[in-house]
Amino acid sequence: MTDDRALVAMGARAALLLILAGCGGSDSGGPSTPPPPGEFRTLGGGNDVPERYTSDLWVHGEYAYTGTWGYRSVVGNALKVWHLDAAGAPTLVDSIITPGIVTVSDVEVSSDGTLLAFSGENGVGGGLYLYSLASPAHPAFIASYLVENGLHTATFGYIGGRRYIFAAKNPASPALMIFEIDPANATPIALTSTVPVPANYGHHDTFVRDGIAFVCAWNTGVLIYDVGDGVRGGSPQSPQLIASLVTAGGQVHNAWWFHNPVTGEKKYLFVGQEGPASIGSSSSGNIHVVDVSTLSRPREVASFGVPGAGTHNFWMDEARQVLYAAYYNGGVVALDVSGVLSGDLSSRLIARSLPGGAGDTYVWGVMLANGHLYASDMLSGLWELQTP
Amino acid sequence: MLLLAALPAVLRGQGGSPSATFAARGILAGTYSSREPFGGDMAQLRVVQPMLMAHADAYDRHLRVTSTVDFEAWTIPDGELTIGAWGEGFVDRRHPHTILHELVASGVGRVGRAELSLSGGKGFAAFGSDDPANRLTLRYPVNHHWSQILERAVLTGGALVGPIMAEASLFNGDEPEYPEQSPNFSRFGDSWSGRLTAFPVRGLRLEASYAKVASPEHRAGAGPTQHKWHASGQWTGPVDGHPFYAMAEWARTEEADGFFVFHSLLAEASWELGPTRLYYQFERTERPEEERILGQPTRSLRPHLENSILGTSRWTLNTVGVGRDLLADGGTFRLRPFVEVSYATVVELTGGVFDPATWYGGTDFWGLTLGVTVGLGRTAFSHLMGRYGVAEDAGANPAHSHHH
Repeated sequence: MTDDRALVAMGARAALLLILAGCGGSDSGGPSTPPPPGEFRTLGGGNDVPERYTSDLWVHGEYAYTGTWGYRSVVGNALKVWHLDAAGAPTLVDSIITPGIVTVSDVEVSSDGTLLAFSGENGVGGGLYLYSLASPAHPAFIASYLVENGLHTATFGYIGGRRYIFAAKNPASPALMIFEIDPANATPIALTSTVPVPANYGHHDTFVRDGIAFVCAWNTGVLIYDVGDGVRGGSPQSPQLIASLVTAGGQVHNAWWFHNPVTGEKKYLFVGQEGPASIGSSSSGNIHVVDVSTLSRPREVASFGVPGAGTHNFWMDEARQVLYAAYYNGGVVALDVSGVLSGDLSSRLIARSLPGGAGDTYVWGVMLANGHLYASDMLSGLWELQTP
Repeated sequence: MLLLAALPAVLRGQGGSPSATFAARGILAGTYSSREPFGGDMAQLRVVQPMLMAHADAYDRHLRVTSTVDFEAWTIPDGELTIGAWGEGFVDRRHPHTILHELVASGVGRVGRAELSLSGGKGFAAFGSDDPANRLTLRYPVNHHWSQILERAVLTGGALVGPIMAEASLFNGDEPEYPEQSPNFSRFGDSWSGRLTAFPVRGLRLEASYAKVASPEHRAGAGPTQHKWHASGQWTGPVDGHPFYAMAEWARTEEADGFFVFHSLLAEASWELGPTRLYYQFERTERPEEERILGQPTRSLRPHLENSILGTSRWTLNTVGVGRDLLADGGTFRLRPFVEVSYATVVELTGGVFDPATWYGGTDFWGLTLGVTVGLGRTAFSHLMGRYGVAEDAGANPAHSHHH
């Protein structure tokens, strides 16, 4: 980080804290003391994808993988492969170009590190792509599954010893599509089931954990499915709806089901609202906290917002009880989510940073790996940050 | 159309003087643009605005039916070359209108000093200014979707008392997605508009409108609501003994609780010197920039997946034209060749990722159109779209002559 950028980031954070302090809060059940002030520090990366807008990211071991979006000076049809040095700083080592798409909309590596999956959209090549990571610096194509109008996201889920991808099919006929993934099979990507989602802007992202799938379905809200938990007899072949909830304002985009190792609770679901945005400059939408201690009766209990900015993808440091949120033009946010969450969580803000600096930050996603937080900024590329 | 043709015969002997008029119109236009998406220039020869138009009335004009059938689905399925135009999934192309452009029946009566009407069918909501097809330039203004609301299932009530006219419309918010599509009737009534018009002196018309339009760009209704305001002033009269027309309008549309706000200013004038018309139009309008489709840079993604845009651009245009009536003797066959030149510039306003210099290879545009308007029928150039009931009579002034 340059001194100028550090000053900008510190200034922005100070301004934000002043604003939030003025807003007050009704977080009655939080920690007894305010979260300690923190700061993100830039460790590496940045300004490393000048020809394309950067989209999603995933980090595994010594490598990171980032997608690209839309049209900058060239089309966002690239998956970038980065080697992370001993300090975690990324260096570009390869790019995979996929014809017929404009956006690599989601990127993920399987938990065992052997497979890379990404979704593509906006073009005849839209769909799911699967690569081998036998050589993680140079992924090798295994198979693809094309879907009309493309897929918006694709997320690994592990149920009953099998590996699945839960994917969000774009309108005009939005749906949750579940694929079984087995590279040893003659059909490495096999469609297992398709669950239509109301065309209320459709399906955006899925969070899968312990046999429960949280389907983020825009103005239809978050749909909670049993896909193997057993509470409703659901399976990947036949997902069973448990409950649904439209959080305040709808526009439900993404979620994270927090399993708190400190308390043992599985009480809170964090929901990202993707409000209206002018990409590259402004955004809107809050983080909503839903109490799902009884999955069949979800209820919203708290929320968090940054004035003038909107949230996007999440990552959690569950052991430290910290939620990291990409916040588009608001940068990266760290939020203390320990204890009881209620009302306005403004006072829980630990730190916020604009990795690319003011006017050059529009963060799509974050991921905690190897003790560092990685942020994919649509404008300024892949960053390595030290957490506060 | 056949029903309208049969109306006078059916109603003959029912009192009054049932009548019907029919006309056809089309424009053969060759258009050149100095810039295109991804750079380069572009020329296009198309038949645009091919229309059959009908009007029938009965019972001493207490019952009126107006219809316009538009054939652009076949002549410009990929849109008309119009850099700056947008809407209904088209960008830098003027979209084709729906085949059944309007079919509206009106009942008109009088109570005391008030003339009242109730109109229903598919057509224009009471909002904003007259459709550009009824005005001066061939080039549709960038503000078409800020200054008119059309092709809806609509019910409009109107009252004309002295020099004041008030109209209110109920309609469906969704705009068409393709020319063959009908309005989503299940959404009828989710949107409304009101228009107040004053005629303080002969030749002068002042108008103010408001509309609340639910999810215009998402047929199922998941999109944000638009709040639209519009005001205009129009004057027609002689200048130096020759007919003169001038109109200025202002429009503002805000969407998603004010997150997006778009403005427009437009002024235009024409002067008729015998069979020759000179005209000029100035426009400054803001446009949302949407993600476009791979391989189809003049189409934007539909249906929407979220409420994001790539930025807001502001287009400033100057258009000048001259046309001449070759057969202006009052016959049924009309022929009006014309030439039109436009110069436009564009800037991005919000810091979004849309960069016009990258997209077009520059930010200034020249356009040239050579065309000829062909009309058949006495009302070919005077058929008035979008004004129903009391507004039909109030709107019938010399400004509403097709001027290309």
